[in-house]
Amino acid sequence: MWKTIVRRTLLMIPQMFVLSLIIFILAKQMPGDPFTGLITPETDPSRIEELRIQSGFYDPWYVQYYHWITNAFQGDFGQSYTYKIAVSTLIGERALNTFWLALLSAVLVYAIAIPLGMIAGRKQDTLYDKSITLYSFISYAIPTFVLGLIFLYIFGYRLMWFPTSGTVDVGVEPGTLEYYWNRIYHLILPAMTYAILGTTTIIQYLRSEIIDAKTQDYVKTARSKGVPMKRIYRRHIFRNSLLPIAAFLGFTITGLLGGSIFIETIFGFPGMGQLFIHSITSRDYSVITALVMLYGFLALLGSLLSDIIMSIVDPRIRID
Amino acid sequence: MKKNWLFLSVLFAVMFVLAACNGGGGTEKGSETDNKGKSGEKETTKVEENLLSSEVTNEGEAIKGGTLRVGLVTSSPFQGIFNWELYEDAYDKEIMDFATNSIFSTDGDFVVTDQGAAKLEVDKDAKKATITLQGDYKWSDGKAVTAEDLIYPYLIIGHPDYTGIRYDDDFKNIVGVEEYHSGKADTISGITKVNDKAIQIQFKKVSPAIYYGGDGLWGYAAPKHQLESIPVKDLISSDAVRKNPVTLGPFKIDKIVNGESVQFVANEYYFKGKPKIDKVVLEVVPPTSIGEALRTGKYDIATSFPTNQYDGIKDLSNVSVLGRPELAYSYLGFKLGKYDKVDSKNIFDEKSKMNNVELRQAVAYAMDIEGVSEKFYQGLRERGNSLIPPVFSFYDETLEGYHYDPEKAKELLDKAGYKDKDGDGIREDKDGKKFTIRLAAMAGSETDEAIVEYYRQNWKDIGLDVQLTTGRLIEFNAFYDKVQADDPEIDMYMAAWGTGTNPSPKGLYGEGAEFNYSRFVSPELTKLLDAIDSEDAMDPDKRKKAFRAWQEYMSEQAMVFPTFFRTEVIPVNKRVKNWDASYATDTKDNLHTVELLADEPLK
Repeated sequence: MWKTIVRRTLLMIPQMFVLSLIIFILAKQMPGDPFTGLITPETDPSRIEELRIQSGFYDPWYVQYYHWITNAFQGDFGQSYTYKIAVSTLIGERALNTFWLALLSAVLVYAIAIPLGMIAGRKQDTLYDKSITLYSFISYAIPTFVLGLIFLYIFGYRLMWFPTSGTVDVGVEPGTLEYYWNRIYHLILPAMTYAILGTTTIIQYLRSEIIDAKTQDYVKTARSKGVPMKRIYRRHIFRNSLLPIAAFLGFTITGLLGGSIFIETIFGFPGMGQLFIHSITSRDYSVITALVMLYGFLALLGSLLSDIIMSIVDPRIRID
Repeated sequence: MKKNWLFLSVLFAVMFVLAACNGGGGTEKGSETDNKGKSGEKETTKVEENLLSSEVTNEGEAIKGGTLRVGLVTSSPFQGIFNWELYEDAYDKEIMDFATNSIFSTDGDFVVTDQGAAKLEVDKDAKKATITLQGDYKWSDGKAVTAEDLIYPYLIIGHPDYTGIRYDDDFKNIVGVEEYHSGKADTISGITKVNDKAIQIQFKKVSPAIYYGGDGLWGYAAPKHQLESIPVKDLISSDAVRKNPVTLGPFKIDKIVNGESVQFVANEYYFKGKPKIDKVVLEVVPPTSIGEALRTGKYDIATSFPTNQYDGIKDLSNVSVLGRPELAYSYLGFKLGKYDKVDSKNIFDEKSKMNNVELRQAVAYAMDIEGVSEKFYQGLRERGNSLIPPVFSFYDETLEGYHYDPEKAKELLDKAGYKDKDGDGIREDKDGKKFTIRLAAMAGSETDEAIVEYYRQNWKDIGLDVQLTTGRLIEFNAFYDKVQADDPEIDMYMAAWGTGTNPSPKGLYGEGAEFNYSRFVSPELTKLLDAIDSEDAMDPDKRKKAFRAWQEYMSEQAMVFPTFFRTEVIPVNKRVKNWDASYATDTKDNLHTVELLADEPLK
């Protein structure tokens, strides 16, 4: 297995290289440049031109690419054109926000979806099952921004149970217990929105796996041996049914940094999704390329992690 | 203090970049868009100019202290560059306004007055300006403000490592700046310290713009004692800019949550007096929820409020909705030439397709702008009659402009020889060939498409076939790429300009101006533009006359004609005792006087 991991990791290098080349060229193909947004009659065009030249805008693309890739290898992804700070600092800040939000969302997703999926599967075709299926259809069909706005309206503005925007109140002293609670408090509403929308797949997978498993030979054997149904479910069916969910786990972990543009925009939450969209509209090349590289890397890592997790939880699968 | 014109992208607010501009003065001039005489087929009811009042006073006894809650409406986090020399984003400026470093005060026409922290004296013969601090002022950290602090901003902007947008042609008007910028001199020779409170600046030329803070004059002080130890190239990422800037204004920054919120506390050293309230808390609010936030009393005031949400708040009982004209206008322009990059000048092409005054006027008369204003903008945008927004005293309210008058448009086209020869309802050109006009329009809000389609219908009604460049609305960046590059697929384009506080139009319509997108040049226009910025025009009356002559000429030639003037909407919670949004007496310049009537915003 170690051999495979090393091999897969090494394989990532050419993959990332090709990705970097593609994204670099495509990003530069977009109309406009980071200075288009700066162009105001206030500034004279010659100053903008000067800034373009300074930033190497007119160099041939391979020269720019060479500069960028050599710096990137040293961990320097350049300066953000819009935010004027190092790209790594900028992404680091946003990634942290997104990470905590996504982590809480993921915990909530599993906390909601696993019990519901199990009940639906076990009590197949009962009223429970039907209500759960109805719930998952609704949550699947409802667009993110609609649910986000509804939640914000009800819990944020009407009932006033939760804060309505941001990651933390400006008044609380960083580092105190109150500060951490305040941060979590800000996370709950967006995380709930995120979680409710994300449960469908897991519920449905789990439900059909359990229904499938019920007719399997090993279940019949266990029953014929007189093992109580409770125990069969706990020890046999649930364990096996969780396998496909374990297969997603790798992607779920790396997907934590993806961010969601809708949730972030509605809840005024500075995260990765917003950063990505904003960097594209403002042609902030250095941020675009760094983010795409990061997402690409995470996707590769996610599939590797998923394979590793699978081989651990399911001894039948070996990935050599 | 803005010297020039600002480019207003209708699309991504996030991309707006405003350069130095202190919310100066500016009386609310009634823009009496003349509606008499002319009447089209459909006489649209005139929208009340002062639809929204610019001032509100609420009765009651003020509480002691209190916290003013401000909602900054934007869908993305703010950048957080809190330094007047370095910032580029308009939202950063909105935030800094509470702790401004501005040294000048301005009047209704945005002309520098003697009421600010510093006084400006111009010796136009010697091409010199003297800036004198008018008292013993202190920075927010208690250190004295000195002449050094007035000089330091120039040293930042002129520095070889400065990468901002403000090292421009205007700035190079200061004697010795270029030597300093190239590293040949350690300091700017044209700027000298007169005494502890005064500096003198030697310019290469002076024009009327200097009274608006133009010609290279800088309207802000910089805390040298805090910034001088930081190399200019590191300034933008330093804590002195990002976290704890030392400021001059009524409030000082206390805490910042990056991109989200800022807490200010009263600056006890503020030279106009310590503010009556204790704190200001400013938070980013997404445009989707600002209406609800105002209704539930989360904020006392919302800045950069999206006008398309006006309907949602206009009837709230706890909020007064104030308005004031924006320093901006929307317009339609015709492509009449090319820009020569080598010689840096516009070349007018007599033979270009749209070079026919009657044709251009017909296009203008055919547009039902009054109707669009009423149906789509709730009257928050009204038909523009001039290329100078009504805020300025240079605005010519007698100018007719172009009303909706399809009959007149048809007459003009008939006269010009654009006639429908094959009877299909679409006019052919003068030689009888098929005539299609291509219009470039920007994609923005959801109503933009409907509005453009309506105009196309208007044009079709008078027999003009107007097609969209690329077949659809164009994204902001691509739009300006095409317009700037004089794309042959564009015959006319719809865009907008934000004006600064100095309305001098040379940068937008001059022969050498890259932003003169219509590319129209004529000796007469050059003469009119020169008159506005001439030394003669240092006399306000003469300048006013020059402005009028220019406005009339532009209207007559119609190479660019205004479509809308805009209104800025400012919602204020009724617990704020007094708020004045008019430019001349803007409460934002007198934040120390703000008082609150209750502990929390009213619901």
